[in-house]
Amino acid sequence: MRELGHPVILCNRQIVLLSNNIRVRVYALRQSVAVMRASLFITCYNDTLYPETGRAVVRLLERLGVEVDFHAQQTCCGQMHANTGFRGEAFSQAKRFVRLYQEAETVVIPSSSCVAMMRDQYPGLFEELGNEELRRQFAALLPRVYELSEFLIDRLGVEDVGAYFPHRVVYHASCHGVRALHLGERPYRLLAKVRGLALATLENVDRCCGFGGTFSVKNAEVSSAMLAVKLQDVIATGAEYCTALDNSCLMHLGGAMHRQYAGMKTIHLAEILASTEDAPAEATL
Amino acid sequence: MKAPLQSRQQIPRQRILERIRAATLDCAQDPAMREEAYAALPRAYTRHGQLSAEARLKLMIERLREYDAEVVETTPEALPDAIAAQLAASDKHSFLAPPGTPSEWMVTAAWKISGLEWTIDHGLATAEIEQSEGVVTAASCGIADSGTIVLHHSASEGRRVLSLLPDWHLIILRASQVVETLPEYFARFQQPSGLVTWISGPSATADIEMTRIKGVHGPRFLNVILVRDKS
Amino acid sequence: MNYSHAELDPRKALPFPKAVLPVLRNPQLRKNVAHAIDVIQTKRARLVAEKDDWQELRTAASAIRAHALENLGAYLEQFEERCTAAGGTVHWAADADEARRIILDLLRQEKASEVIKIKTMTSAEIQLNPFLEANGVSAFETDLAEIILQLGGEEPSHIVVPALHVNRSQVREIFARRMGLKNLSDDPKELTNAARTYLRQKFLAIPTAISGANFLIAETGSVAVVESEGNGRMCLTLPRTMITLAGIEKVLPRFQDLEVMLQLLARSATGERMNPYTSLWTGVTAGDGPQSFHVVLLDNERSSILAKAKQRQTLKCIRCAACMNACPVYRQTGGHAYGSVYPGPIGAILTPQLMQMKFAQSLPYASSLCGACYEVCPVKINIPDVLLELRAQVVNQERGRAARYFDPMYVGLRVANLLFAKAWLFHVAQRLGRIGLGLYTRKDGWIHSLPGIGAKWTQTRDLRGLPDESFHEWWAKRGSQPGKEGK
Repeated sequence: MRELGHPVILCNRQIVLLSNNIRVRVYALRQSVAVMRASLFITCYNDTLYPETGRAVVRLLERLGVEVDFHAQQTCCGQMHANTGFRGEAFSQAKRFVRLYQEAETVVIPSSSCVAMMRDQYPGLFEELGNEELRRQFAALLPRVYELSEFLIDRLGVEDVGAYFPHRVVYHASCHGVRALHLGERPYRLLAKVRGLALATLENVDRCCGFGGTFSVKNAEVSSAMLAVKLQDVIATGAEYCTALDNSCLMHLGGAMHRQYAGMKTIHLAEILASTEDAPAEATL
Repeated sequence: MKAPLQSRQQIPRQRILERIRAATLDCAQDPAMREEAYAALPRAYTRHGQLSAEARLKLMIERLREYDAEVVETTPEALPDAIAAQLAASDKHSFLAPPGTPSEWMVTAAWKISGLEWTIDHGLATAEIEQSEGVVTAASCGIADSGTIVLHHSASEGRRVLSLLPDWHLIILRASQVVETLPEYFARFQQPSGLVTWISGPSATADIEMTRIKGVHGPRFLNVILVRDKS
Repeated sequence: MNYSHAELDPRKALPFPKAVLPVLRNPQLRKNVAHAIDVIQTKRARLVAEKDDWQELRTAASAIRAHALENLGAYLEQFEERCTAAGGTVHWAADADEARRIILDLLRQEKASEVIKIKTMTSAEIQLNPFLEANGVSAFETDLAEIILQLGGEEPSHIVVPALHVNRSQVREIFARRMGLKNLSDDPKELTNAARTYLRQKFLAIPTAISGANFLIAETGSVAVVESEGNGRMCLTLPRTMITLAGIEKVLPRFQDLEVMLQLLARSATGERMNPYTSLWTGVTAGDGPQSFHVVLLDNERSSILAKAKQRQTLKCIRCAACMNACPVYRQTGGHAYGSVYPGPIGAILTPQLMQMKFAQSLPYASSLCGACYEVCPVKINIPDVLLELRAQVVNQERGRAARYFDPMYVGLRVANLLFAKAWLFHVAQRLGRIGLGLYTRKDGWIHSLPGIGAKWTQTRDLRGLPDESFHEWWAKRGSQPGKEGK
């Protein structure tokens, strides 16, 4: 890290200079090439419960030279309805999503379960209830829909986002991230490049935390038993923060941590990646 | 009384087959297409092993020993002596042999071990088989990958009950019979025998707290003599 | 004395969320289950990892099973023809009642008052043992786990290791009491030997046996049974008469297809490269084994499952139990809560379908949809997908009922759907929610207790209070110029 600049080329459009004092400067070659645009689909529960995650995504992407846009008409992807068996209702939300985003250059979603909903369930919903035009529009849109870590690594080609987060962190690999999106090493590669961060190893990393959407209420007792087992492994890491790419799991884990005075906090990965020395992650509860 | 029984069987048969036909209208194929579709099923798994002949035998032995089977190697010439040595070491005296057992397998042992008693199975009653302490049989194939020995229950491999009731089973397996993978066994025996027993180690259970216990109902002791013939 | 209380008739069983309660309050039971599951899972993971072609085997197995089901009628007829030619007799049973009748008739022809059995989940599905008992035939289970259950008056809680919820000291107690062995220790080896001695005479004396089938081979008319202990070989070899009860879906086109199935089955089921004994027989063989052989092919709603294209894959199942071993729900609850002889994820999709969706409607919801079952399934049954399909059917049933308006989940989701249709409505609801939840939010910013359906959440977790500003409100204030807000 002694040399002054360490240039990283992003999609042939931007050059990021990482200097040795960990400040990040971004030079986008605006005059010659169009800037990449990303439309943020924040998801209904992030909008309502975790706005700080959305703010972090905006800060992170803009720092990387991406022009972020937000569609004010967005609401929900329909996952909650589809997963509970309300297929017709889920379809109307799926249709809404496609209508709103069909013109988007790329869509970024900081929630792997919502992206999994689109990839795994939208095709079936449109097949069953939609028309040919809708199916065509969706097929054209889907390749441009990214989960946040996919967007950073696959689309922007960046692992080091210039983040600084001097804490011991454990990563909870959510079921949808692992088994539906096959995110694999992506989140770990991003975390490995965060300065100051010490990553703890989690036992039984691919075991479900027991959230499961309406499962956590319909089968509250089983969900709680699963949570207790997961929490044991998470707490055993001795980390200060538990992070994930799904605030839904974090709401579940964090709710139990708070109930049990566990002394560990939850934080979405976007917030860690947005955090820099100058602008640390927003103070959370 | 025959006719009603016949029709009693026929009615549900037709009803079920009709239901199945109706349920698979969207996908059932005519015989030619079915053959074609079957032939086109994806089979990208490993068919042929990559090991040398020597490594294959080594793996076979290693797998058998993992199952707590007793394995010794010998040459075709030394086989009768090897059998005698195994029988002597077993500390048992009454042994069964299938009718197709080569006599030289038995003669040397009988001559060497005093008090040893061979009974050849020409339709023995179950009780007689149950009285015997051990059995010696040939085999049709060995599969190294899983340490499996396959019996087709030919004259030298014996009826199924023969290798089941005695507590001690000695199998004579020739090196040329050992393949590496399960698909290689199926390639070798495309016209299957009507009876097949795949044996992978002695009888075992893990039904109590997943603790593996050797020998529940089948033979508790599995012994193998691997004969180094020419492959 | 029973170690668990189970009702495995889906028509009588409690809904899953209620049925789990006694289990969750039984730490010994949960410990027994988790221990067994963890042992199998560790073994399985190691053996699957050593198999470079695991995914290719799964792909092949899935395709073979799908092909067999698509052409089920033809393959069953071929099986029947070849089995009959080899001296077997094939019977067809449309439902459980027919299957039980056929078996009882066969036993009466044999004048059998006792019968030995190889573990078969299909016979448990049709509740064969109590029926035989009521008709004067004593059925003796011969698999060690099944003996434990039968002697202890327990119900199976797993399809491969059905007594995994019973530990060694409980087995000792059952055996000591029922076999009259006062000095028995709880050493698994000694317990196993006790079972060996107990059964030996039955094997030698009882001339009639009942088995299930792991596979039926259409090409040859053969039946294959996969086992570990040798009790299967005893039952297949010693009796005069053998009756095999098999679901119609068990058929494989060809003998060679076993090269795929046998590689997957033991690794998935018990974490072994191959189970100790696999037996295949074809009709009747002169001088070897039973000279009278019957196969009872059982439909029992399988053809209705076959008719539904999305659900058809349920029938690909080869009963390895990998899904329940991988399931984080099963790991907590064990099998009895599923109220069926088929527990775990496969049970959650199979049972309601076998019941024509008239019973067991809580089972499709007994999953967090984590996908672990699909990941391990050796024949690639997309269990989460089928769960969702069945959930949709459950909701569609509810739509027609007046009682739906008293179901807070139903009403909540219908209302949410209206709100999500218009962003402004959603935003109004957010603001109302903020005010409503604000009443429950403590000074620390967290909600510790909620009324109604929310109490289901707050019984074990807190909920962070709603923030004062939602994301879209922040965005609207900020405008879209980058770098304007607090960097």
